Order: sequence, then structure tokens, then C-alpha cells
Amino acid sequence: MSKVPNMPKSWRVETKPHKFCPGCGHGLVLKALGEAIDELNIQDRIVFGCDIGCSLLSWDFFNVDTVQTHHGRTTPVMTGIKRARPDRICIAYMGDGGGYAIGSQHLVNAASRNEKITLILANNCNYGMTGGQMAPTTLPGMKTETSPYGRDIEDTGYPTQGPEMVAAITQHKAYVARGTVANVRQLKNYIKKALQNQMDNNGFSFVEALAGCPTNWSTNAKDTWAFIEEEMPKYFKVGEIKTPAQKEENTNG
Amino acid sequence: MSTSSAYKMKQFDTKKAVFTIFTGLCKGCGLCIQKCPVNTLVWSDDLGVYGTPAVQPKDTDTCTGCGMCSVVCPDCAIVIERKK
Ligand SMILES: Cc1ncc(C[n+]2csc(CCOP(=O)(O)OP(=O)(O)O)c2C)c(N)n1
Ligand code: SF4
Ligand code: SF4
Ligand code: SF4
Ligand SMILES: [Mg+2]
Repeated sequence: MSKVPNMPKSWRVETKPHKFCPGCGHGLVLKALGEAIDELNIQDRIVFGCDIGCSLLSWDFFNVDTVQTHHGRTTPVMTGIKRARPDRICIAYMGDGGGYAIGSQHLVNAASRNEKITLILANNCNYGMTGGQMAPTTLPGMKTETSPYGRDIEDTGYPTQGPEMVAAITQHKAYVARGTVANVRQLKNYIKKALQNQMDNNGFSFVEALAGCPTNWSTNAKDTWAFIEEEMPKYFKVGEIKTPAQKEENTNG
Repeated sequence: MSTSSAYKMKQFDTKKAVFTIFTGLCKGCGLCIQKCPVNTLVWSDDLGVYGTPAVQPKDTDTCTGCGMCSVVCPDCAIVIERKK
């Protein structure tokens, strides 16, 4: 009978339990990523970069070379490492605030240049680490610390649809998908394809993961799942948005 | 039944599977309870790593050994070993 927890091999066991809150989506995204790294057998080639925001709590999460850097700047840092050491498999990991607000210029330019890195973004519809402020991804009508009456789209516009934007600005060899922590197996497969796309030297790969933030949403487990499974996909469609196999004429490349 | 490991743990020998909860990893989030298709998970008298209740199967008959609870646990606190 088992006496060891069934953690991905690439996880750093000494740092577990990890630092995320109970029920946090980051734990599930990084579980999917860990399994993807294990299945592709690439642990010794990975460079993992985490952002500011709760993603930084993963600075000692994996047994791989890890960098933590300024808010939203993980993308250019990983781009630089990839250009200096093309044999490495570089992963930039961040939240929706880091990727779509404070670092949106970095995401846009890395995607436009088709940089051969993999970006994984946990979308929890708010700025988690700083106490739950409204983010570009906050759903219409959703209450946060800075939208106490619910996000008003007349005032603040509609939420950012990251993967759709990245799909529109990348060349035809990019991989773009949106997964969810409600389907960890599917999310793992998307992440595996994204990493494979980098290993094949194709181009930019991007996976957004719908993720829970029970602490700032003030949700119990039932309501956390309900928000992830029922509310978020109304606006953020789960699925593959762009694959390198797609014909060139179907893309803006 | 209780055994030793790097993390505090407890094992439950159910009809279809051995259910292991690493209470030393369980943060009591409850995500697994909600996802169990046969509703067999309940809060336990044993405490998890943050001093909140951990989880356990309510009896030895209901668990089907499907493994869903271990898949959705963000902390890898549950191991399910199906019996043949
Ligand atoms: C340039 C800059 N602006 C603002 C901050 C303050 N800050 C720290 S974490 C954070 C929000 C992070 O939100 P997100 O990227 O969505 O990650 P989450 O914590 O939700 O996973 C902000 C605004 C900062 N550290 N640096
Ligand atoms: S504040 Fe939210 S995103 Fe940050 S660790 Fe807690 S649950 Fe996760
Ligand atoms: S293995 Fe399946 S049936 Fe058994 S407790 Fe876990 S989720 Fe429920
Ligand atoms: S999902 Fe994991 S951490 Fe959360 S209550 Fe269940 S066993 Fe504990
Ligand atoms: Mg966020």
C-alpha cells in the first residue's frame, strides 16, 4: 500500500505542501504542467520563469532551473534565455494581471515575433496576490475589491480574451489553447502540445488555464467549481484555438 | 489504519480500493468532496496541514476507486489504489 504521495516526478517534494491557498487553481495548473514535463521526459532541459503575483509562489516548486522576475516581464526574460540557449525549453508562467495588463506589451510582441517559448497563464479573473482587485479578465458584473457593484462594461469595457488575441497576431506555426482546471487531463494535453511545439522549433505556444481563486472570490468548494465550470466558460471558451497543423490560409500568418 | 511516511497519512481499506489521505498535505479545500461522483467523501476528525479537517470516505462500501478525488486535488494529498 502506497506510502508516498503521487506527485509529478518533476515537482520538488521538499517544498510540499506548496505555498498556494487551499483549493487554488495554480496548484492544479502546475500539477498538469508537472505531468506534461514528466511524460515528455524533458525535466533536465526546462527553464521555468515565474512572474509577480501568486505565480511567484512557485519559485521553488519544480526540480528545474527557475527564475522569478518583475511583473509581466517573465516573457522577455524567458525569450532572452531561449535566444541564448536554444537547446533549453523555456516556460513563462504568470497570472492574467501579469500577462494581459502589466505585461501585455511583452505578450503581444513575443507572440508577434513568434518567439519559440511557451507561455502558460492562469486566468483567475482578478489580481489574486494583492487582494482581489479587478483585472482585465474580470467578468461583466463580477464583484471584486475595486468593482464592488460588479464590473460595469460601460465604464471598463469587456474582459480581455487572451488566446483569441494571441491566435490573431501569431504566424501559422503557433500553438494556442484555453484549458481549465476543471479538466486537468485536457489541460495537461494542451500543455504537452504547447511544449512539443517549442521542441519542434515551430514558434510561440500559449496556453491559458481557467483557474480558481477561492480566497479572493470568497467561495466555498461548491461555488468555486460552479464559477469555473459555469460562469467563466460563458465568456472564455475552452478548446484549442490554433494548432501548427492548421492550414496557413486559415490564419493571419 | 495508520502508517508512517514523510507526511502524516491515514489509509482506508475499502471494498474496491485502498484510499490514502496524506493529512500532512491536505489543506481542507473541499474540492475533492464536490467532485466525488458517489458522494462518499466527508470531513474527517483528523486535521490537515493547516489544522482544518482533512477528508475521508464515509464507509468502506461506496468508493468505486475511480480516482477523481486524487485528480482534482491541487496538493496531491490523495492516492487511490484500485483492487483487482
Ligand atoms: C509593475 C508592477 N505593478 C504592480 C505590482 C503590484 N502587484 C503585485 S501582484 C499583482 C497582481 C497579480 O495578479 P495576477 O497577475 O492576475 O496574478 P494572481 O496573483 O492573480 O495569480 C500586482 C498588481 C507590481 N508588483 N509591479
Ligand atoms: S490568493 Fe488566489 S491565486 Fe493567490 S494563492 Fe490564494 S487562491 Fe491562489
Ligand atoms: S476514488 Fe472516486 S469514488 Fe472513491 S472517494 Fe475518490 S472520487 Fe469518490
Ligand atoms: S482536494 Fe486535496 S487538499 Fe483539498 S480537501 Fe481534498 S484532499 Fe484535501
Ligand atoms: Mg490573476
